[in-house]
Amino acid sequence: MGDITIDISALIVSAILLAGLYATMSYGLALIYGVMKIVNLAHAGVMMWGAYGAFILIARLGANPFLAPLLIVPAFFIFGVFLQRYVVRRVMGAPPISSLLLLFGIWLIMQNISYLVFTGDTKAITTKYTLLTFQVSGISISVNRLVVFIVGILALVALRQFLGRTYMGKAIRATAQDSDASKLVGINTARIMEIAFGIGIALAGLAGSLMALIFAFDPDFGRSHLLKGFCIVVLGGLESMIGVALGALVLALAEALSVLWLMPALQDFVSFALLVIVLVVMPGGMKELLSKFIKN
Amino acid sequence: MMLVKQLLCSWKVWVGVIVIAFLVLIPFLEIRGGYLQTLGFLTFLYISLSTAWNILGGYAGQISFGHATFYGLGAYTTSILILRGIPALLTIPIAGIVASFYGLLWGYPCLRLRGQYFAIATIGVGEATRLLMLNLDDLIKNNYLLKGFLQKGVLTGGATGLMLPMPPDIRTYATGFYYGVMVLMFGALLVSWWVKNGKFGLGLFAINMDMDAAETVGVNTTRYKILALMLSAFVVGISGSIYAQYVFYIDPQTVFGFPTSIAMVLMPTIGGIGTLTGPILGAVVYIVVQDRILTANLNLGFINLSLSSLHLLLYGGLLVVIILFEPKGLLGMYRRLSNLWEKHKMRFLIARGGIEKI
Repeated sequence: MGDITIDISALIVSAILLAGLYATMSYGLALIYGVMKIVNLAHAGVMMWGAYGAFILIARLGANPFLAPLLIVPAFFIFGVFLQRYVVRRVMGAPPISSLLLLFGIWLIMQNISYLVFTGDTKAITTKYTLLTFQVSGISISVNRLVVFIVGILALVALRQFLGRTYMGKAIRATAQDSDASKLVGINTARIMEIAFGIGIALAGLAGSLMALIFAFDPDFGRSHLLKGFCIVVLGGLESMIGVALGALVLALAEALSVLWLMPALQDFVSFALLVIVLVVMPGGMKELLSKFIKN
Repeated sequence: MMLVKQLLCSWKVWVGVIVIAFLVLIPFLEIRGGYLQTLGFLTFLYISLSTAWNILGGYAGQISFGHATFYGLGAYTTSILILRGIPALLTIPIAGIVASFYGLLWGYPCLRLRGQYFAIATIGVGEATRLLMLNLDDLIKNNYLLKGFLQKGVLTGGATGLMLPMPPDIRTYATGFYYGVMVLMFGALLVSWWVKNGKFGLGLFAINMDMDAAETVGVNTTRYKILALMLSAFVVGISGSIYAQYVFYIDPQTVFGFPTSIAMVLMPTIGGIGTLTGPILGAVVYIVVQDRILTANLNLGFINLSLSSLHLLLYGGLLVVIILFEPKGLLGMYRRLSNLWEKHKMRFLIARGGIEKI
């Protein structure tokens, strides 16, 4: 019996650590959707480039693995701002399908540039922290995963402060609520959208660079994470960071339990099936479900 | 009589007749050791796929990234049935029907989602189906109820896929399939034409433009969308079935893979979404460019770049350019150019005094 409880609690701990990473990745998606009402399919490509960015910085240039994000975040922020200013802005008024296809095209371009430059070989980053673990009451925790979790959560907390305290952050939230009304009260919504897109892309790049420390990756990396991101965003609702964090936790736990009860190979199947079910059954996310539950 | 006379005078009809005659005669010409025949086979197959996707994606405006599920299911249905001794020709319609019902199965819940959400759900469906097919054998092995479906412990063959037995006379067989897929292509085009010019198509166009308005004027949007998906799935399933019989080997990563779905999105979008001839144009460009590029290598002296990945890079770029500047695709570009040319010609003639000023 003791072994099984330890197994389950170890799974739950690793699920929580993974959920932090998932939340970082998904919040970018939620922010971009909230402010601009477009679904960013290029998120997958950005995560993949984040992973390769980390690979170049850490494995080739010998940077400290946990300081690499300091370079990656601003670089991807600028990339996102330029992408919005010169490309995505042109389809803002068009039907949503064209922005979807446009970002899909950008994803294809990014992916195949990587195939061209890095070839299709699977790569992984091994640092001196990779295999380091410590024990807490019988559960071994990977230092790597813990630090990745902390960096992801720190980024989210910083972002929350930014959105809650500064003028720019408040303007972003206002635009997400009602972009026409925000324009009326004098917010430069075009600029706000650039910044929101930049932040979203920067979060994706950060998440990608952190994932590179844990998972192996190739140019096709990011597609499954993109789908998980959608699942989390729909589960958690689009408005709140707490909702996204909860959604990430639910997904990570579902995955961990599917490893335990089903086949490990079906882990991703469970999350994709969950995505479809969640989209169809409760498009309002957990919040809707909860409010229904409370009413009855 | 008048119509026939008019048709005979149009140069387009003559060009069409010559092209079709050439395509029919390809297997007899034996140009470059059957290379053209294989290229033709692939082109016809992809035109069918592209046209089928266009019924849902172009006419009804529901972008599906999950059409590889139908392609793969068609291929697998055929392979599994042939390996159990059912005649190959009979398996083709069965493959179409199975794919069609799978479309009903996931289309019914997913098509209630709108626009972007539907597209995302289809990516999820596609990936989930691929993973399921990869692991189906292992799942069945552990279940005593379903064990009977296994033959020598194999149903889908997992990641290794399925091998079909090869016929003795491969050349006649391939030629037969060349004509078979040609019939399929004309069938798909006929269906597409029929949908486009019928009441059904009008309903789909209405859904594409404004779903709520369509509902208000009495279009049963859910039923129309599901029918469009099933029709599209039927054609794609048959294409998958023919593909499996032509190459004798299938595995989940090829037939269920995301690149297959991507190809089906790219071809009609690049050619001209929602038109009859756009998907043909897109598929021809897709196959020909793929064929040219996959074999090319760029040697820059110090690095040797394989250009095989350039294929999708090019299409990604083309897609971005088309969405930004010409939403009607290559067909729209052609129309714009020909309009310009007509105007230019008119101006030239007027300047020359060749015709009276209007």
